[in-house]
Amino acid sequence: MHRYERAILDVLKEKKKLGLEELEGKAGIGRDETLWALESLSAQGYVELEKEDMIEVTLTDEGKDYAMSALPESLLLAKLRERTIKAGSLKDKERIGFQWAKQKGLVTIKDGSILLVKKGIGAYEKGLPEEQVLKELGKDPSSYASLSKQHPEEIAELSKRRLIEVRKKSRVTGVRITAEGESADEGKEGIGGLTKSMIASGAWKGAGFKSYDVDVQVERAVPARKHPLMQNIDDIRRAYISNGFREVSGPVIDSAFWVFDALFQPQDHPARDAQDTFYLEDIEEQEIKNKSYINRVKKAHTQGWHYKWSVDTAMEPVLRTHMTSISVRYLYDMLAGRGKDKDYPVKLFSIGRVFRNENVDYRHLADFYQTDGVIIGKDLTFANLFDTIIRLYSWLGTEIKFKPAYFPFVEPGVELYAYSKGLKEWIEFGGAGMIRKEITGVRRRKLTVLAWGIAVERLMQIRENGDVKSISELYNNGLGWLRNRKIV
Amino acid sequence: MPVATFNRKYLSSLVGNLPDDKLSGEINKLGINIEKLDDDEISVEISSNRPDLISAVGFARALQLYSHRSKRYNYAIKEHEPVIEVNVGRAVKKVRPCIASFAVTGLRFTNESLAELLNSMDKFTDTYGRARRKIAIGMHNLDAVEGQLSYDAYADGRFVPLNSSKEMSYRQVLEDTDKGEKYAGALPGSKAMLYPALRDEAGTLALIPILNSERTKVSTSTRNVLIDVTGYSEYMINKTADMLAAIFMDMGGEVKRARINYQNKEMRTPLMETREITMPTRMAERDIGVDIGPNNVASLAAKMGYDAAYIGDKVRFSVPPYRLDVINEQDIVEDIAIAYGYDYINPVPIRSIISGLADQAAVRRTGVSELMVGLGFSQMMNSYLANDTINFTNMRIKDNATAIRIKNPKSEAITMMRTWVLPSLLRNIALSLNEKTPLSAFEYDMVFSLSGKKPSEAYHLAAVSSDPKANFNWIKSTFEALSYALGLRCKLERYDHRSFIEGRCAKVIVGGKEIGFFGELHPEVLNAFGIEEPTVAMELEL
Repeated sequence: MHRYERAILDVLKEKKKLGLEELEGKAGIGRDETLWALESLSAQGYVELEKEDMIEVTLTDEGKDYAMSALPESLLLAKLRERTIKAGSLKDKERIGFQWAKQKGLVTIKDGSILLVKKGIGAYEKGLPEEQVLKELGKDPSSYASLSKQHPEEIAELSKRRLIEVRKKSRVTGVRITAEGESADEGKEGIGGLTKSMIASGAWKGAGFKSYDVDVQVERAVPARKHPLMQNIDDIRRAYISNGFREVSGPVIDSAFWVFDALFQPQDHPARDAQDTFYLEDIEEQEIKNKSYINRVKKAHTQGWHYKWSVDTAMEPVLRTHMTSISVRYLYDMLAGRGKDKDYPVKLFSIGRVFRNENVDYRHLADFYQTDGVIIGKDLTFANLFDTIIRLYSWLGTEIKFKPAYFPFVEPGVELYAYSKGLKEWIEFGGAGMIRKEITGVRRRKLTVLAWGIAVERLMQIRENGDVKSISELYNNGLGWLRNRKIV
Repeated sequence: MPVATFNRKYLSSLVGNLPDDKLSGEINKLGINIEKLDDDEISVEISSNRPDLISAVGFARALQLYSHRSKRYNYAIKEHEPVIEVNVGRAVKKVRPCIASFAVTGLRFTNESLAELLNSMDKFTDTYGRARRKIAIGMHNLDAVEGQLSYDAYADGRFVPLNSSKEMSYRQVLEDTDKGEKYAGALPGSKAMLYPALRDEAGTLALIPILNSERTKVSTSTRNVLIDVTGYSEYMINKTADMLAAIFMDMGGEVKRARINYQNKEMRTPLMETREITMPTRMAERDIGVDIGPNNVASLAAKMGYDAAYIGDKVRFSVPPYRLDVINEQDIVEDIAIAYGYDYINPVPIRSIISGLADQAAVRRTGVSELMVGLGFSQMMNSYLANDTINFTNMRIKDNATAIRIKNPKSEAITMMRTWVLPSLLRNIALSLNEKTPLSAFEYDMVFSLSGKKPSEAYHLAAVSSDPKANFNWIKSTFEALSYALGLRCKLERYDHRSFIEGRCAKVIVGGKEIGFFGELHPEVLNAFGIEEPTVAMELEL
């Protein structure tokens, strides 16, 4: 803080409120220095200035010139009283005078000559009022207050012709100390805002630094955030990849064949009902080229479920209801010998959106995320599957439990549960099992396929210990929710 | 998954008086979830492959076997001349062709046992029987049945339906009763409606699969019953009849076969065939990955109701007739795993060293998303599903046959797949108006459209910023940062896109192909979404 500022604050801390002159006297500094210091203190919020508005009028150079002599149009009028002037012969100021005289209707032109009209003669005799106003202002600028009331049009003209300049100005009359000013600096001098030049010159040395109030109320900065669900998806991907899995992807819009039939889901299964699955209009049915594969699926359905399997039903386009449709496509490629990987085990995973034909409300969503994994290998066991799940989801930081469960395409099947410490209960987060040989087309003794599907949003509920109250909360995407979210 | 609710007192009469923790422990080991357990009732979730557990008797049977309190594996029926004869008519073939039937004698019902039995039959036909379309079950007082039975389809008929005193026509039953309304969908509708019905010499026993007659109503005093199972799959109705017969045998009744005289063949139901499946003794051990010991396979299988015998290095399993789900040895392996107990399976690591690999496109999307967050945009994740109002009308554009539409929408909110991301983001902004500006959001995810008749799936990056000072240059500077980071070599052209203010939208062209656009949104679009401040936006296919 500058010593002038300090001197003023010291006076104000005692007197609280003072007039400008009184302040100058007590602080013992001159007018200019006081005003400078007060502006600075006011900017820092230490003082409030009492100001009086005033208007300042100054004559421009051109205005001063005319005030000394006369307006150019008056000069022209005077000349015209003596002789006729040709319009073409006007020079310099006379031209300006002519323009204004003509605009004010004092002169006219006839056959190239400028003639004085009657109004012009009157004006010459009485004198132009705007000229008188200008002259008065030249003598005493403070006469503006009364002149602007008596001659508003003339003032406006002068101002428009840039002969005078009218500026509103406020004048400091007094000053009052603020609460911040009372506590400012607490007696220590020092630097407020550090500047580039201070750092370069070392001017801060010995000056000390002004301290800040650590309890001061400030507005919280607004962050841009990554979506927490995406954060979770990235964590899941990282866990897979670090355990040697390869990421694969596939179509969202698929035929019922890959979503259901290839997974041994009978065609009259309730999950395939229009109540649960989205069917799509106007899409060409996808052809499955390998007829022997279709026949194998047909045989599995006919023999396992004892009904008439329809290829047309299988070819209907749907929105995938699980990511297993992607796994089974890869499985098919791999086991049909068309895949590149032949070094078993082959480990694959996919993660993406799946769909259920639900009425959307706070508990139900029509689309959400699932991740599916498969391991294709020799001599794999159910116990291997348990180990894999534990390894992949150890980052949840909680206990995992396995319960018997039924899914048409696996045998044995298992439901996966994790303990939520927040909700204090076991939450089901997915299903797993060993894929049936009807689907792989390969006897278990030759090749085994372990598979699992995980509900991604459920993992979030477990991981966040119940902070995610409903799954739909994740899809509301409120900016406030995201900005204010705690880091897990 | 159907939820079955049993009377606790009745269940206790079947399995003994087990305390809560013991009962729930046994149920959990079978892999069954308990929804509710108190002194009066127990509710359990039955998985769709085990309809035999829907009845209290079947459920109790599974618990008794698992805990070695029962060792009943044999459900064979004594051979004797059928006591019932059902003649199947020609007309029913097109309507509901298959029937299985049998009689049970020597039953003693209590209020609880009868109520539970009827309840479980309803639950079974509602779920597994697909609301009686696939399978329907009828139970009648055998002593009220007169003479031979016929099963056929009729143009109409009259009878006094169950719990009524008034005679009604078949048509009236269908139209005027609760059951008629509920199950009318189980009948194949056609112009010349034919009603499948079971009749005896005195009249109608049942309008199938809707309602039985009052005349043959079963009460607690009934000792002998007649069962009919109808549907369109001979396999399914016979398996159902087997499952029901086993329940009556467990209840202490004697099951007697019926002869079904079809037009071209004769059958005796229930079949009660015991299927046999043979597999290597070590197969379960090898698949599950635990050390069971060859001598324990049979006893584990016995816990799940199989009669098992060792033959050399193989085991032969007899599959009980009430199991509808056992297809082959894989299903038996699962049952052995359940009997062994999932809690006792020790995880075994897979020994392999393979390096994992991320999908490179996904990695790139993550990078782009991080850049967008760095530019001050928060990440949104919205539904891929949309409707015309949001996707088109609000945006002042029309669908030129590019939208993929849902064939079976449940509400107007979801009728199509979104064709672009921007409308989703505008909805997010509209829900965040009381937040501090700028309201900046982005989403990098999938959109869908038709190209010809083929579906096309693409990833779009869209971003929006709503702020009193938002203008074209603002969004352009965001675009420039993005395109610089991505190394896009693009050309910009003025674009008249109806969602944007005329003269304030640019088209982005890369390699001669339009990949997107950005600009200042039209006030009508903002009005449509209820957004208050000037808003700029971009959408790019990346």
